Amino acid sequence: MSARDRIEETAAAWLVRQEDPAWTGADQAELQEWLDRSMAHKAAYWRLEHGWRQADRISALGGGVRPAVGPNWSSRPILALAASLIAALALGVVLLVQAGSSTGSAQPDAAVRQAVTPVGGQRRLALADGSRVELNTDTDLRYAIGRERREIWLERGEAFFEVARAPGLPFVVHAGPRTVTVLGTRFSVRREGDRVSVAVLEGRVRVDEDADPAPGRSATLVGGDLAIAQGTSTLLTGNSAERVHDALGWRRGMLIFSQSTLADAVAEFNRYNRVQLIVADPAAAEIRIGGSFHAGNARAFARLLRDAYGLRLKEQDGSILISS
Amino acid sequence: MVDDFALNRWFCGEVLPLERVLTAFIHRNWRVEADLADLRQEIYERALMGARSGLPQHTRAYLYTIARNHLINRAKRAQIVSIDLVADLERLDDGFDRLSTERVLDARDELRRVQRGLEALPPRCREVVRLRKVEGLSTREVAQRMGIGTDTVEKQMTLGMRALVDFMLGGAGRVRRHDGGACGRKAVRP
Repeated sequence: MSARDRIEETAAAWLVRQEDPAWTGADQAELQEWLDRSMAHKAAYWRLEHGWRQADRISALGGGVRPAVGPNWSSRPILALAASLIAALALGVVLLVQAGSSTGSAQPDAAVRQAVTPVGGQRRLALADGSRVELNTDTDLRYAIGRERREIWLERGEAFFEVARAPGLPFVVHAGPRTVTVLGTRFSVRREGDRVSVAVLEGRVRVDEDADPAPGRSATLVGGDLAIAQGTSTLLTGNSAERVHDALGWRRGMLIFSQSTLADAVAEFNRYNRVQLIVADPAAAEIRIGGSFHAGNARAFARLLRDAYGLRLKEQDGSILISS
Repeated sequence: MVDDFALNRWFCGEVLPLERVLTAFIHRNWRVEADLADLRQEIYERALMGARSGLPQHTRAYLYTIARNHLINRAKRAQIVSIDLVADLERLDDGFDRLSTERVLDARDELRRVQRGLEALPPRCREVVRLRKVEGLSTREVAQRMGIGTDTVEKQMTLGMRALVDFMLGGAGRVRRHDGGACGRKAVRP
Protein backbone atom coordinates (compact mmCIF):
# COMPACT_ATOMS: atom_id res chain seq x y z
CA MET A 1 0.00 0.00 0.00
CA SER A 2 1.51 3.35 -1.00
CA ALA A 3 1.58 6.48 1.14
CA ARG A 4 -1.03 7.96 -1.20
CA ASP A 5 -3.27 4.95 -0.60
CA ARG A 6 -3.07 5.35 3.15
CA ILE A 7 -3.83 9.06 2.93
CA GLU A 8 -6.83 8.46 0.69
CA GLU A 9 -8.12 5.76 3.01
CA THR A 10 -7.78 8.04 6.02
CA ALA A 11 -9.53 10.88 4.17
CA ALA A 12 -12.41 8.55 3.26
CA ALA A 13 -12.71 7.36 6.86
CA TRP A 14 -12.91 11.00 8.03
CA LEU A 15 -15.71 11.71 5.58
CA VAL A 16 -17.69 8.66 6.67
CA ARG A 17 -17.34 9.58 10.34
CA GLN A 18 -18.19 13.21 9.66
CA GLU A 19 -21.62 12.24 8.34
CA ASP A 20 -22.48 10.37 11.50
CA PRO A 21 -24.74 11.91 14.16
CA ALA A 22 -22.08 11.23 16.81
CA TRP A 23 -19.64 13.69 15.17
CA THR A 24 -18.56 16.38 17.63
CA GLY A 25 -16.73 19.70 17.66
CA ALA A 26 -13.67 17.94 19.07
CA ASP A 27 -13.73 15.56 16.08
CA GLN A 28 -13.97 18.56 13.75
CA ALA A 29 -10.92 20.12 15.41
CA GLU A 30 -9.02 16.85 15.06
CA LEU A 31 -9.91 16.65 11.38
CA GLN A 32 -8.81 20.26 10.87
CA GLU A 33 -5.50 19.43 12.48
CA TRP A 34 -5.02 16.45 10.18
CA LEU A 35 -5.84 18.59 7.13
CA ASP A 36 -3.46 21.34 8.18
CA ARG A 37 -0.63 18.88 8.56
CA SER A 38 -0.04 18.44 4.80
CA MET A 39 -1.23 19.64 1.43
CA ALA A 40 -1.40 15.98 0.35
CA HIS A 41 -4.06 15.45 3.05
CA LYS A 42 -6.08 18.39 1.73
CA ALA A 43 -5.78 17.25 -1.88
CA ALA A 44 -7.08 13.76 -1.03
CA TYR A 45 -9.83 14.95 1.31
CA TRP A 46 -11.09 17.73 -0.95
CA ARG A 47 -11.17 15.43 -3.95
CA LEU A 48 -13.18 12.74 -2.16
CA GLU A 49 -15.46 15.30 -0.52
CA HIS A 50 -16.22 16.92 -3.87
CA GLY A 51 -17.01 13.65 -5.64
CA TRP A 52 -18.95 12.23 -2.70
CA ARG A 53 -21.07 15.37 -2.54
CA GLN A 54 -21.80 15.17 -6.25
CA ALA A 55 -23.04 11.67 -5.59
CA ASP A 56 -25.67 13.14 -3.23
CA ARG A 57 -27.70 13.91 -6.33
CA ILE A 58 -28.79 10.31 -6.27
CA SER A 59 -31.06 11.12 -3.31
CA ALA A 60 -33.24 13.05 -5.79
CA LEU A 61 -34.29 9.67 -7.17
CA GLY A 62 -35.65 8.58 -3.79
CA GLY A 63 -37.14 5.12 -4.11
CA GLY A 64 -36.12 5.03 -7.78
CA VAL A 65 -32.86 3.27 -6.97
CA ARG A 66 -33.15 -0.48 -6.72
CA PRO A 67 -31.74 -2.09 -3.63
CA ALA A 68 -28.74 -4.18 -4.60
CA VAL A 69 -29.82 -7.72 -5.34
CA GLY A 70 -26.97 -9.96 -4.42
CA PRO A 71 -25.91 -12.74 -2.14
CA ASN A 72 -27.58 -12.82 1.23
CA TRP A 73 -25.00 -10.90 3.25
CA SER A 74 -26.68 -11.50 6.54
CA SER A 75 -25.49 -14.45 8.54
CA ARG A 76 -28.39 -13.80 10.90
CA PRO A 77 -31.44 -13.48 8.63
CA ILE A 78 -33.97 -13.44 11.47
CA LEU A 79 -32.18 -10.66 13.32
CA ALA A 80 -31.83 -8.73 10.07
CA LEU A 81 -35.56 -9.08 9.46
CA ALA A 82 -36.28 -7.84 12.97
CA ALA A 83 -33.90 -4.93 12.42
CA SER A 84 -35.59 -3.91 9.20
CA LEU A 85 -39.01 -4.13 10.88
CA ILE A 86 -37.74 -1.78 13.59
CA ALA A 87 -36.35 0.51 10.90
CA ALA A 88 -39.71 0.46 9.12
CA LEU A 89 -41.51 1.40 12.34
CA ALA A 90 -39.05 4.24 12.93
CA LEU A 91 -39.67 5.49 9.40
CA GLY A 92 -43.41 5.62 10.08
CA VAL A 93 -42.82 7.77 13.12
CA VAL A 94 -40.60 10.15 11.17
CA LEU A 95 -43.23 10.54 8.47
CA LEU A 96 -45.89 11.31 11.09
CA VAL A 97 -43.73 13.96 12.69
CA GLN A 98 -43.07 15.53 9.31
CA ALA A 99 -46.74 15.62 8.39
CA GLY A 100 -47.51 17.42 11.62
CA SER A 101 -44.73 19.98 11.36
CA SER A 102 -44.84 23.52 10.01
CA THR A 103 -43.55 22.54 6.59
CA GLY A 104 -46.80 23.12 4.70
CA SER A 105 -48.30 20.92 2.03
CA ALA A 106 -45.73 18.85 0.19
CA GLN A 107 -46.01 18.93 -3.56
CA PRO A 108 -45.58 15.63 -5.33
CA ASP A 109 -42.32 16.53 -7.06
CA ALA A 110 -40.30 17.35 -3.96
CA ALA A 111 -40.52 15.40 -0.72
CA VAL A 112 -39.64 17.24 2.47
CA ARG A 113 -36.40 15.91 3.91
CA GLN A 114 -34.70 16.68 7.18
CA ALA A 115 -31.09 17.23 8.18
CA VAL A 116 -29.87 17.76 11.75
CA THR A 117 -26.53 18.26 13.45
CA PRO A 118 -25.68 17.67 17.12
CA VAL A 119 -23.87 20.18 19.36
CA GLY A 120 -20.41 20.66 17.85
CA GLY A 121 -21.36 18.92 14.60
CA GLN A 122 -21.25 20.22 11.06
CA ARG A 123 -22.63 18.73 7.89
CA ARG A 124 -22.69 19.53 4.18
CA LEU A 125 -25.54 18.69 1.88
CA ALA A 126 -25.74 18.79 -1.91
CA LEU A 127 -29.28 19.58 -3.01
CA ALA A 128 -30.88 18.14 -6.13
CA ASP A 129 -30.81 21.55 -7.91
CA GLY A 130 -27.03 21.87 -7.54
CA SER A 131 -27.19 24.18 -4.52
CA ARG A 132 -25.10 23.46 -1.44
CA VAL A 133 -25.93 23.81 2.23
CA GLU A 134 -23.57 23.70 5.19
CA LEU A 135 -25.18 23.11 8.57
CA ASN A 136 -23.48 24.55 11.63
CA THR A 137 -23.62 23.18 15.19
CA ASP A 138 -26.96 22.16 16.78
CA THR A 139 -29.07 22.79 13.69
CA ASP A 140 -32.40 21.40 12.52
CA LEU A 141 -33.35 22.06 8.92
CA ARG A 142 -35.97 20.71 6.50
CA TYR A 143 -35.83 21.08 2.76
CA ALA A 144 -37.96 20.50 -0.32
CA ILE A 145 -36.09 20.93 -3.58
CA GLY A 146 -37.70 20.15 -6.92
CA ARG A 147 -38.78 21.52 -10.27
CA GLU A 148 -41.75 23.37 -8.74
CA ARG A 149 -40.20 24.87 -5.66
CA ARG A 150 -37.02 25.31 -3.67
CA GLU A 151 -37.83 25.79 0.00
CA ILE A 152 -35.92 25.46 3.26
CA TRP A 153 -37.25 25.64 6.81
CA LEU A 154 -34.62 26.52 9.39
CA GLU A 155 -36.18 25.30 12.62
CA ARG A 156 -33.09 25.93 14.76
CA GLY A 157 -29.42 26.86 14.38
CA GLU A 158 -27.41 28.16 11.46
CA ALA A 159 -26.73 27.27 7.85
CA PHE A 160 -24.73 28.60 4.92
CA PHE A 161 -26.27 28.44 1.46
CA GLU A 162 -24.65 28.46 -1.94
CA VAL A 163 -27.61 28.74 -4.29
CA ALA A 164 -27.47 27.51 -7.88
CA ARG A 165 -29.08 29.89 -10.35
CA ALA A 166 -32.48 28.77 -11.65
CA PRO A 167 -34.30 31.52 -13.55
CA GLY A 168 -37.88 31.93 -12.39
CA LEU A 169 -37.50 29.55 -9.45
CA PRO A 170 -36.66 31.46 -6.28
CA PHE A 171 -34.87 29.80 -3.39
CA VAL A 172 -36.76 30.53 -0.19
CA VAL A 173 -35.48 30.11 3.37
CA HIS A 174 -38.11 30.32 6.14
CA ALA A 175 -36.57 31.19 9.50
CA GLY A 176 -39.37 31.67 12.02
CA PRO A 177 -40.74 35.19 11.67
CA ARG A 178 -38.57 36.01 8.63
CA THR A 179 -38.40 34.72 5.06
CA VAL A 180 -35.27 35.10 2.94
CA THR A 181 -35.72 34.93 -0.84
CA VAL A 182 -32.91 34.66 -3.39
CA LEU A 183 -32.21 33.72 -6.99
CA GLY A 184 -28.52 32.78 -6.90
CA THR A 185 -26.03 33.75 -4.21
CA ARG A 186 -24.01 32.70 -1.18
CA PHE A 187 -25.24 33.64 2.29
CA SER A 188 -25.93 32.30 5.78
CA VAL A 189 -28.98 32.37 8.03
CA ARG A 190 -28.83 31.90 11.80
CA ARG A 191 -31.88 31.48 13.97
CA GLU A 192 -32.11 31.75 17.76
CA GLY A 193 -35.82 31.68 18.57
CA ASP A 194 -37.33 34.71 16.86
CA ARG A 195 -33.99 36.46 16.35
CA VAL A 196 -32.73 35.94 12.79
CA SER A 197 -29.32 37.01 11.42
CA VAL A 198 -28.49 37.00 7.71
CA ALA A 199 -24.93 37.44 6.36
CA VAL A 200 -24.45 37.78 2.60
CA LEU A 201 -21.13 36.80 1.01
CA GLU A 202 -22.12 37.61 -2.56
CA GLY A 203 -25.25 38.28 -4.65
CA ARG A 204 -28.52 39.79 -3.46
CA VAL A 205 -31.20 38.54 -1.06
CA ARG A 206 -34.51 39.91 0.25
CA VAL A 207 -35.59 39.57 3.87
CA ASP A 208 -39.36 39.77 4.53
CA GLU A 209 -41.24 39.92 7.77
CA ASP A 210 -43.86 37.15 7.67
CA ALA A 211 -46.36 38.92 9.92
CA ASP A 212 -46.46 41.99 7.67
CA PRO A 213 -45.36 41.20 4.13
CA ALA A 214 -46.33 44.66 2.83
CA PRO A 215 -43.90 46.25 0.40
CA GLY A 216 -41.57 48.66 2.13
CA ARG A 217 -41.27 46.30 5.09
CA SER A 218 -38.67 44.17 3.36
CA ALA A 219 -34.92 44.72 3.41
CA THR A 220 -32.64 43.96 0.47
CA LEU A 221 -29.09 42.85 1.24
CA VAL A 222 -26.12 42.63 -1.12
CA GLY A 223 -22.66 41.04 -0.70
CA GLY A 224 -20.94 42.26 2.47
CA ASP A 225 -24.21 43.12 4.22
CA LEU A 226 -25.29 41.79 7.58
CA ALA A 227 -28.85 42.00 8.94
CA ILE A 228 -30.18 41.16 12.39
CA ALA A 229 -33.97 40.96 12.70
CA GLN A 230 -35.97 40.68 15.89
CA GLY A 231 -39.59 41.51 16.54
CA THR A 232 -40.60 44.20 14.08
CA SER A 233 -37.15 45.73 13.65
CA THR A 234 -34.44 44.80 11.18
CA LEU A 235 -30.97 46.22 11.75
CA LEU A 236 -28.86 46.38 8.60
CA THR A 237 -25.08 46.87 8.57
CA GLY A 238 -23.73 47.57 5.09
CA ASN A 239 -20.19 47.37 3.72
CA SER A 240 -18.95 45.04 6.41
CA ALA A 241 -17.26 42.38 4.27
CA GLU A 242 -14.85 41.71 7.13
CA ARG A 243 -17.63 41.09 9.62
CA VAL A 244 -19.39 38.80 7.15
CA HIS A 245 -16.10 36.90 6.75
CA ASP A 246 -15.76 36.63 10.55
CA ALA A 247 -19.38 35.52 10.93
CA LEU A 248 -18.71 32.69 8.50
CA GLY A 249 -15.53 31.49 10.26
CA TRP A 250 -17.43 28.43 11.56
CA ARG A 251 -17.34 26.95 8.06
CA ARG A 252 -13.60 26.43 8.60
CA GLY A 253 -14.14 25.28 12.19
CA MET A 254 -13.08 28.69 13.53
CA LEU A 255 -14.63 31.34 15.75
CA ILE A 256 -13.39 34.81 14.91
CA PHE A 257 -13.78 37.72 17.35
CA SER A 258 -12.80 41.32 17.05
CA GLN A 259 -13.52 43.52 20.06
CA SER A 260 -16.23 41.13 21.32
CA THR A 261 -17.04 41.05 25.01
CA LEU A 262 -16.01 37.90 26.85
CA ALA A 263 -19.71 37.26 27.54
CA ASP A 264 -20.47 37.17 23.79
CA ALA A 265 -17.39 35.07 22.98
CA VAL A 266 -18.31 32.53 25.67
CA ALA A 267 -21.88 32.33 24.35
CA GLU A 268 -20.44 31.48 20.92
CA PHE A 269 -18.19 28.72 22.35
CA ASN A 270 -21.12 27.26 24.24
CA ARG A 271 -22.98 26.66 20.97
CA TYR A 272 -20.28 24.22 19.89
CA ASN A 273 -19.32 22.39 23.06
CA ARG A 274 -20.87 20.20 25.71
CA VAL A 275 -18.39 21.63 28.19
CA GLN A 276 -20.09 24.94 29.01
CA LEU A 277 -18.14 28.07 29.93
CA ILE A 278 -19.72 30.30 32.58
CA VAL A 279 -18.49 33.82 33.30
CA ALA A 280 -18.94 34.23 37.03
CA ASP A 281 -18.54 38.00 37.49
CA PRO A 282 -19.62 41.10 35.52
CA ALA A 283 -16.13 42.64 35.41
CA ALA A 284 -14.74 39.61 33.58
CA ALA A 285 -17.76 39.52 31.26
CA GLU A 286 -16.86 42.98 29.94
CA ILE A 287 -13.28 42.10 28.92
CA ARG A 288 -12.76 42.61 25.16
CA ILE A 289 -11.52 39.61 23.18
CA GLY A 290 -10.00 39.42 19.69
CA GLY A 291 -8.52 36.64 17.59
CA SER A 292 -9.50 33.36 15.98
CA PHE A 293 -9.99 30.09 17.83
CA HIS A 294 -10.89 26.47 17.09
CA ALA A 295 -14.62 26.29 17.84
CA GLY A 296 -14.47 22.78 19.25
CA ASN A 297 -11.85 23.44 21.89
CA ALA A 298 -13.45 25.38 24.75
CA ARG A 299 -10.81 24.15 27.22
CA ALA A 300 -7.96 25.65 25.21
CA PHE A 301 -9.82 28.94 25.05
CA ALA A 302 -10.34 28.90 28.83
CA ARG A 303 -6.65 28.17 29.43
CA LEU A 304 -5.78 31.10 27.18
CA LEU A 305 -7.97 33.37 29.29
CA ARG A 306 -6.12 32.20 32.38
CA ASP A 307 -2.67 32.66 30.85
CA ALA A 308 -3.28 35.91 28.95
CA TYR A 309 -5.74 37.72 31.20
CA GLY A 310 -4.96 36.20 34.58
CA LEU A 311 -8.54 34.95 34.99
CA ARG A 312 -9.27 32.10 37.39
CA LEU A 313 -10.76 28.80 36.20
CA LYS A 314 -12.75 26.31 38.22
CA GLU A 315 -14.23 23.10 36.82
CA GLN A 316 -17.47 21.67 38.19
CA ASP A 317 -20.17 19.38 36.78
CA GLY A 318 -19.00 19.61 33.17
CA SER A 319 -18.74 23.41 33.29
CA ILE A 320 -15.81 25.76 33.58
CA LEU A 321 -16.35 28.79 35.81
CA ILE A 322 -14.35 31.86 34.78
CA SER A 323 -13.78 34.68 37.25
CA SER A 324 -11.37 37.58 37.76
CA MET B 1 -1.73 34.07 0.41
CA VAL B 2 -4.88 32.33 -0.83
CA ASP B 3 -7.05 31.05 2.03
CA ASP B 4 -8.27 27.46 2.19
CA PHE B 5 -11.80 28.38 1.24
CA ALA B 6 -10.74 29.99 -2.07
CA LEU B 7 -8.18 27.23 -2.67
CA ASN B 8 -10.85 24.57 -2.19
CA ARG B 9 -13.26 26.33 -4.56
CA TRP B 10 -10.59 26.59 -7.23
CA PHE B 11 -9.51 22.96 -6.79
CA CYS B 12 -13.06 21.56 -6.95
CA GLY B 13 -14.33 23.98 -9.60
CA GLU B 14 -11.38 24.07 -12.02
CA VAL B 15 -8.84 21.32 -11.30
CA LEU B 16 -10.99 18.27 -10.54
CA PRO B 17 -13.06 18.63 -13.76
CA LEU B 18 -9.74 18.05 -15.56
CA GLU B 19 -9.11 14.73 -13.80
CA ARG B 20 -10.06 12.66 -16.82
CA VAL B 21 -7.65 14.45 -19.19
CA LEU B 22 -4.94 14.48 -16.54
CA THR B 23 -5.33 10.75 -15.97
CA ALA B 24 -5.25 10.08 -19.73
CA PHE B 25 -2.10 12.20 -20.01
CA ILE B 26 -0.30 10.26 -17.28
CA HIS B 27 -1.53 6.98 -18.75
CA ARG B 28 -0.09 7.77 -22.18
CA ASN B 29 3.27 8.94 -20.87
CA TRP B 30 3.95 6.54 -18.02
CA ARG B 31 4.09 2.81 -18.59
CA VAL B 32 3.77 1.65 -15.01
CA GLU B 33 -0.01 1.51 -14.54
CA ALA B 34 0.31 0.94 -10.80
CA ASP B 35 1.90 4.40 -10.34
CA LEU B 36 -0.98 6.27 -11.90
CA ALA B 37 -3.00 7.23 -8.83
CA ASP B 38 0.16 8.11 -6.87
CA LEU B 39 1.41 10.38 -9.64
CA ARG B 40 -1.96 12.11 -9.93
CA GLN B 41 -2.11 12.75 -6.21
CA GLU B 42 1.44 14.17 -6.26
CA ILE B 43 0.49 16.46 -9.14
CA TYR B 44 -2.57 17.69 -7.22
CA GLU B 45 -0.45 18.32 -4.16
CA ARG B 46 2.06 20.37 -6.18
CA ALA B 47 -0.70 22.26 -7.98
CA LEU B 48 -2.24 23.25 -4.63
CA MET B 49 1.10 24.29 -3.13
CA GLY B 50 1.83 26.51 -6.12
CA ALA B 51 -1.66 28.05 -6.12
CA ARG B 52 -1.38 29.05 -2.47
CA SER B 53 0.54 32.20 -3.34
CA GLY B 54 -1.98 33.17 -6.03
CA LEU B 55 -4.58 31.29 -8.08
CA PRO B 56 -3.43 30.75 -11.68
CA GLN B 57 -5.38 32.47 -14.44
CA HIS B 58 -5.29 29.52 -16.81
CA THR B 59 -5.79 26.39 -14.78
CA ARG B 60 -5.56 24.01 -17.72
CA ALA B 61 -2.15 25.25 -18.85
CA TYR B 62 -0.96 25.48 -15.25
CA LEU B 63 -1.95 21.91 -14.42
CA TYR B 64 -0.40 20.64 -17.65
CA THR B 65 2.93 22.29 -16.87
CA ILE B 66 2.97 20.84 -13.38
CA ALA B 67 2.02 17.37 -14.63
CA ARG B 68 4.66 17.38 -17.35
CA ASN B 69 7.44 18.63 -15.07
CA HIS B 70 6.52 16.13 -12.42
CA LEU B 71 6.67 13.20 -14.83
CA ILE B 72 10.04 14.41 -16.13
CA ASN B 73 11.42 14.68 -12.60
CA ARG B 74 10.10 11.29 -11.61
CA ALA B 75 11.43 9.70 -14.81
CA LYS B 76 14.87 11.16 -14.20
CA ARG B 77 14.91 9.72 -10.69
CA ALA B 78 13.51 6.31 -11.61
CA GLN B 79 16.07 3.95 -12.99
CA ILE B 80 13.79 1.56 -14.79
CA VAL B 81 12.16 4.19 -16.98
CA SER B 82 13.89 4.67 -20.30
CA ILE B 83 15.54 7.94 -21.14
CA ASP B 84 13.35 8.15 -24.27
CA LEU B 85 10.38 8.97 -22.11
CA VAL B 86 12.11 12.02 -20.69
CA ALA B 87 13.06 13.15 -24.19
CA ASP B 88 9.49 12.57 -25.40
CA LEU B 89 8.08 14.56 -22.54
CA GLU B 90 10.54 17.37 -23.01
CA ARG B 91 9.58 17.63 -26.68
CA LEU B 92 5.90 17.46 -25.87
CA ASP B 93 4.64 20.96 -25.48
CA ASP B 94 1.08 21.18 -26.68
CA GLY B 95 -0.77 20.94 -23.41
CA PHE B 96 -3.84 18.87 -22.63
CA ASP B 97 -5.66 20.53 -25.49
CA ARG B 98 -4.93 17.94 -28.12
CA LEU B 99 -7.01 15.57 -26.04
CA SER B 100 -10.76 15.60 -26.32
CA THR B 101 -12.27 18.68 -24.78
CA GLU B 102 -14.28 18.03 -21.66
CA ARG B 103 -17.98 18.28 -22.17
CA VAL B 104 -19.69 20.09 -19.34
CA LEU B 105 -22.06 17.71 -17.62
CA ASP B 106 -25.51 19.02 -16.75
CA ALA B 107 -27.42 17.92 -13.68
CA ARG B 108 -29.12 15.04 -15.47
CA ASP B 109 -25.84 13.72 -16.90
CA GLU B 110 -24.32 13.83 -13.45
CA LEU B 111 -27.26 11.98 -11.95
CA ARG B 112 -26.92 9.29 -14.59
CA ARG B 113 -23.20 9.11 -13.85
CA VAL B 114 -23.81 8.53 -10.13
CA GLN B 115 -26.28 5.80 -10.99
CA ARG B 116 -23.80 4.04 -13.26
CA GLY B 117 -21.03 4.43 -10.70
CA LEU B 118 -23.25 2.91 -8.05
CA GLU B 119 -24.18 0.00 -10.28
CA ALA B 120 -20.49 -0.72 -10.93
CA LEU B 121 -19.86 -1.41 -7.22
CA PRO B 122 -19.87 -4.94 -5.80
CA PRO B 123 -23.30 -5.79 -4.29
CA ARG B 124 -22.53 -5.29 -0.62
CA CYS B 125 -20.60 -2.06 -1.15
CA ARG B 126 -23.45 -0.82 -3.33
CA GLU B 127 -26.09 -1.56 -0.71
CA VAL B 128 -24.10 0.24 2.02
CA VAL B 129 -23.66 3.32 -0.17
CA ARG B 130 -27.28 3.21 -1.33
CA LEU B 131 -28.62 3.11 2.23
CA ARG B 132 -26.48 6.13 3.15
CA LYS B 133 -27.06 8.20 0.03
CA VAL B 134 -30.64 7.37 -0.88
CA GLU B 135 -32.23 6.52 2.44
CA GLY B 136 -29.98 8.76 4.54
CA LEU B 137 -29.24 6.10 7.19
CA SER B 138 -26.42 6.52 9.71
CA THR B 139 -23.64 3.94 10.00
CA ARG B 140 -25.37 2.27 12.94
CA GLU B 141 -28.69 2.13 11.10
CA VAL B 142 -27.05 0.64 8.01
CA ALA B 143 -25.41 -2.00 10.22
CA GLN B 144 -28.77 -2.87 11.81
CA ARG B 145 -30.59 -3.01 8.51
CA MET B 146 -28.02 -5.31 6.91
CA GLY B 147 -27.26 -7.35 10.01
CA ILE B 148 -23.51 -6.64 9.87
CA GLY B 149 -21.09 -4.84 12.22
CA THR B 150 -20.50 -1.08 12.17
CA ASP B 151 -16.78 -1.67 11.45
CA THR B 152 -17.72 -3.55 8.30
CA VAL B 153 -20.13 -0.79 7.30
CA GLU B 154 -17.41 1.85 7.69
CA LYS B 155 -14.94 -0.26 5.74
CA GLN B 156 -17.43 -0.87 2.91
CA MET B 157 -18.46 2.78 2.90
CA THR B 158 -14.87 4.04 2.46
CA LEU B 159 -14.24 1.48 -0.30
CA GLY B 160 -17.48 2.41 -2.03
CA MET B 161 -16.78 6.12 -1.63
CA ARG B 162 -13.32 5.89 -3.18
CA ALA B 163 -14.52 3.84 -6.15
CA LEU B 164 -17.60 6.01 -6.69
CA VAL B 165 -15.63 9.27 -6.55
CA ASP B 166 -13.12 7.80 -8.99
CA PHE B 167 -15.98 7.04 -11.34
CA MET B 168 -17.63 10.44 -10.85
CA LEU B 169 -14.37 12.12 -11.88
CA GLY B 170 -14.03 10.05 -15.03
CA GLY B 171 -12.17 6.94 -13.85
CA ALA B 172 -13.09 3.28 -14.03
CA GLY B 173 -14.61 3.22 -10.54
CA ARG B 174 -13.01 -0.02 -9.49
CA VAL B 175 -12.93 -1.08 -5.89
CA ARG B 176 -9.30 -1.39 -4.82
CA ARG B 177 -8.51 -3.65 -1.92
CA HIS B 178 -5.29 -4.48 -0.22
CA ASP B 179 -6.24 -7.04 2.38
CA GLY B 180 -8.54 -9.30 0.38
CA GLY B 181 -11.20 -9.07 3.10
CA ALA B 182 -14.94 -8.82 3.19
CA CYS B 183 -15.73 -6.98 -0.02
CA GLY B 184 -14.89 -9.97 -2.14
CA ARG B 185 -15.39 -9.67 -5.84
CA LYS B 186 -14.14 -6.87 -7.98
CA ALA B 187 -16.28 -4.70 -10.17
CA VAL B 188 -15.57 -5.02 -13.84
CA ARG B 189 -14.40 -2.08 -15.88
CA PRO B 190 -17.53 -0.60 -17.51
